[in-house]
Amino acid sequence: MIFFDDVWFEYEPNQPVLRNLSLQIQPGETVALMGENGAGKTTLAKHINGLLKPTRGTVYLEGVDTRKTSTAQLARKVGFVFQNADHQLFADTLQAEIGFGLRNLNFSKEEIDERVNRFLTLFELTKYQDQSPFLLSGGERKRLALASVLCVEPQVLILDEPTQAQDALQKQKLLDFIASFRKSNHILLLVTHDVEFAVKAVDRIVVLSQGELIADGTPRQILSNLSILERARLLPPQLTQFAHQLAEHEPRFPTDLLTLTEAVKAVNQILRRSR
Amino acid sequence: MSIEIDQLSFTYSTSDTKVLDNISLSIPQGAFFGLVGPSGCGKTTLARCLNGLIPHFHPGTLEGSVKVHGLDTQEHPAHELAQKVGLVFQNPENQLIAPTVERELAFGPENLGVPRNEIRHRVETLIQQIHLEDIRDKAPYELSGGEQQRVAIAAVLALQPDILVLDEPTANLDPLSAFEVLELLAQLNRDMRLTILLIEHRLELVLPHIQELVVLAEGRILTKGPPSQVINKPTVAKVGVAVPPIIQLLKRIKHPNIRAATDLSVDQAVKTILQELRK
Amino acid sequence: MAAIFEAFRFKQKHTFMHGLDPRTTFFMAVCFSVLAMLFLELLPLLIIILSMLPFVLLAKSIGQWSRSLKGLAFLAGFILIINSYFISFSFAVSTVLRLTALMTAFSIFFLTVHPDDFAQALIEMHIPYEFAFAFSMAVRYVPTIATETETIRDAQMSRGLELESGNILQRVRNYIPILIPVIVSSIRRALQVAESLESRAFGSTASRTSLYGLKLRKRDFALMIYSLLLLLLGLYVTFILRTMLPSPLPDWFFWTFPF
Repeated sequence: MIFFDDVWFEYEPNQPVLRNLSLQIQPGETVALMGENGAGKTTLAKHINGLLKPTRGTVYLEGVDTRKTSTAQLARKVGFVFQNADHQLFADTLQAEIGFGLRNLNFSKEEIDERVNRFLTLFELTKYQDQSPFLLSGGERKRLALASVLCVEPQVLILDEPTQAQDALQKQKLLDFIASFRKSNHILLLVTHDVEFAVKAVDRIVVLSQGELIADGTPRQILSNLSILERARLLPPQLTQFAHQLAEHEPRFPTDLLTLTEAVKAVNQILRRSR
Repeated sequence: MSIEIDQLSFTYSTSDTKVLDNISLSIPQGAFFGLVGPSGCGKTTLARCLNGLIPHFHPGTLEGSVKVHGLDTQEHPAHELAQKVGLVFQNPENQLIAPTVERELAFGPENLGVPRNEIRHRVETLIQQIHLEDIRDKAPYELSGGEQQRVAIAAVLALQPDILVLDEPTANLDPLSAFEVLELLAQLNRDMRLTILLIEHRLELVLPHIQELVVLAEGRILTKGPPSQVINKPTVAKVGVAVPPIIQLLKRIKHPNIRAATDLSVDQAVKTILQELRK
Repeated sequence: MAAIFEAFRFKQKHTFMHGLDPRTTFFMAVCFSVLAMLFLELLPLLIIILSMLPFVLLAKSIGQWSRSLKGLAFLAGFILIINSYFISFSFAVSTVLRLTALMTAFSIFFLTVHPDDFAQALIEMHIPYEFAFAFSMAVRYVPTIATETETIRDAQMSRGLELESGNILQRVRNYIPILIPVIVSSIRRALQVAESLESRAFGSTASRTSLYGLKLRKRDFALMIYSLLLLLLGLYVTFILRTMLPSPLPDWFFWTFPF
C-alpha cells in the first residue's frame, strides 16, 4: 500500500537526508519508525503524504506515484498528526477546528455535522464544542488535533512523537486508541524514540540511521539487538537491559524478552532452577 | 535548609481555581529531590514560585511563603533570587538567545553588571566543569538537544546560585540526550554540592539519583519520601506516575527477598537477583 | 523579484570589510546615501556608484550585489517607463541610478555586519539597551519563526489546505490557518523567552557590562574620515559650485539624454 522504491532525498544538493530507501507497508500494519534525531524519520514520513517528493526514486501510495498528486489530494487518504498540536489549532471553536479538514476535502454539510459530533464525543470534547481551542489544556489540545485529523477517516495515520511530554495516564489512553485503531485494516505509522511505548504499541519496527534503513523487524527482534539500538542512539527498554546484564552471569537467561509477564516468568524459572 | 515552602497556595490572577493548595516542603542543602505528577498538577507553577517568577512575573494571589536561603521570595526582587536559585525550562530553543555558547554563559553575569574579567573567569570555569570546550564558539542551532540543555544549565549557573530547579528539562530530548543531562545533574549534585529539584516524567533515569521523591496531584502533595517507598504506593500509580518496568518486575517476583528490595536501577536489580541465585 | 534581497543578506566571511567596526560601515552607508541624494545629474551619480564598488569588492560580495541588481531590474523597468512618460528619460535614468546607489550603500553595511554586532554597536552608541536587545532578539528568532511557519504550513496542507486555489481574496484567506498558529506560537515563545530572561536577572541594573566590546581602530577612523570628506566635497559641489553662475563645473557634469 505504501511503497518506497529506492528513494533518495536531498534538501540541499549532495547532502542526502534519505538514501537507498526501499520499504513496503501493507494495510493492517502498525509500524514504529525509530532512529536518532536527524536520522530522517520525519523526512520519510513527509514523503507519504506528498509534503516532500523524492529527489530520486519513487514513493507509491496505493499504486499512485506521489509526484502525480498534491498533498491536499493525499489528505483524503493520509492523516498526519504533527508533534506540536499548537501548530495546527487556529479556529474559533472546536467544531470549526474539527470541520476544517472536512471542509477542505469537500464533504457535504450533513456529513461534516455528523462527523464533527461523532468525533467530539469519541474524544470526550463535546462539552467544549463552542469554545476556542486555545482555552483547552495541553492534553486536551493534543486530543483535539488527533480528532481533527481522524475525522476524515484516513487509511493511513501518521503520528509524529505522540508520547512526548505526556504523563502515564495520557500514554495509556493513546495505547487504548491505537489498540482500537488496529482493528480496522488501516496503516498506522508511529514516528518515535520512545522504546517502552513502541514495545506495547506496534508489531513492526523500522530503524533509520543517517538516512538509511538499518533494521526492519518485530519489536522482539529489534529491541533486543543492542548494537542496532546503539547505532540509532536509542536506549534499550529497561527489561531488555536487565535481561542482557543478567545473561552475562546466567547464560541461560533469555535476552529477547519484552514484556513484564515474560520477565517475571523468566526470573521465577531461573530462581526455581537454582534451588 | 535551602528551600522552605510553608503552606503555599497560589491562584493566577487570570483564574479562580487554586493551582497550588497548601503545599509544605523542605529541601535541605545539597539534596537531590525529584518531583512528579500528572499533567496539570501544578509542578510548573511550583517551579516558578521558587525563583520569584511567581509572584513577580506572574501576578496572582499567593498565600503562605517560600523562603530560599532564608530570603522570602515575595520580598526580594527576581534578580536577587536568580543568584540563589537557577531555573531551567523545558525548551532549549527559548532559553538560548546569544550567538555563541560563550556569550550565552556571559549573559547572566552581564545583566548583573559583573566586571569583565570576573565574567571571563566564570565563563571559563563553567566551560571546563560542564565540558563545553568543543562547542564554545558554536551557535545554538548547531547544537544537539542534549548539548543545548547542558548550555542552558551552564548559563543559569553563571549567576552562581547553589540551588537548581529544572522543569521537565528532558521532555523535548531524545533518550541518549536525556541520559546526558541527567548524568550532568548527578555530577553537579555530587561534585559541586548543588541542591537540585528535578521535575520529570522519565522516572527510570531519575530514581537512582534522588534522595526523595515528591508526588504532586491537583495542586497538593500526595506523598513524599524515599523513592523506593513512594514509587510502590498504589495511589501514586493511580494518578498517572509511570512506575519503571524494572521496579514493577521486582514487585511481582514471588521471592520475598526480591520483592522487598528497594532497588531503583537495572544494575541494582541484577545484583539483587544474582545474590539470591548464589545462595 | 526576491533576488533583490541578496545584497542585504549577511554572510560570515573574513574580509577587510567584515573586520570593520559596524559603526564605521554604518557611517559610510549614511554618507554615501546622502551623497547620492544630493545629485540628479547622471554622470556624477554613476561616479558615486562606481566609487562604492571597490568596497563591495573588498567584501568579496560582488556576486550578491549583482544578483540584487538583477532583482532590481523589474522595479527599474517600471520606474523608467512611468518617469519617461511623465517627465523625461533622463530623469528616469537618474532616479534608477539613485536607487542603485542607495541600495549599494546600505548593502555594504548589511553584507558585512552581523546583526548581533549591530545591536552591540547600537548599545555603544548609547541607544537604550532594551531597544538594541529587542532588535537582536527579533533577528535571532527570525529563522526559528521561519522554520515554524513552514512546519505549520505543512501541518495545515496535510489537512487538505490548498494554498494556490481561488481568486486573490480566497488565496489571502487560505493563509489564515497558517497565520494564526504562527502568531499564537510566537506569543507563547516570547513569554517563555521572557521567563528565561527574568530568571537570569535581565534588566536588573542600568549599568550592564559585556564580555566583548567593540573597538575602533585606525582603519575605522581612516574610512570614516574618507567618507566624511567625500560627503563634504559633494555638499560643496552641490551647494556652492552648482549654484554659482556661470558654473565652474565642466560641461560633462551636466550631460543628459536629449529626451
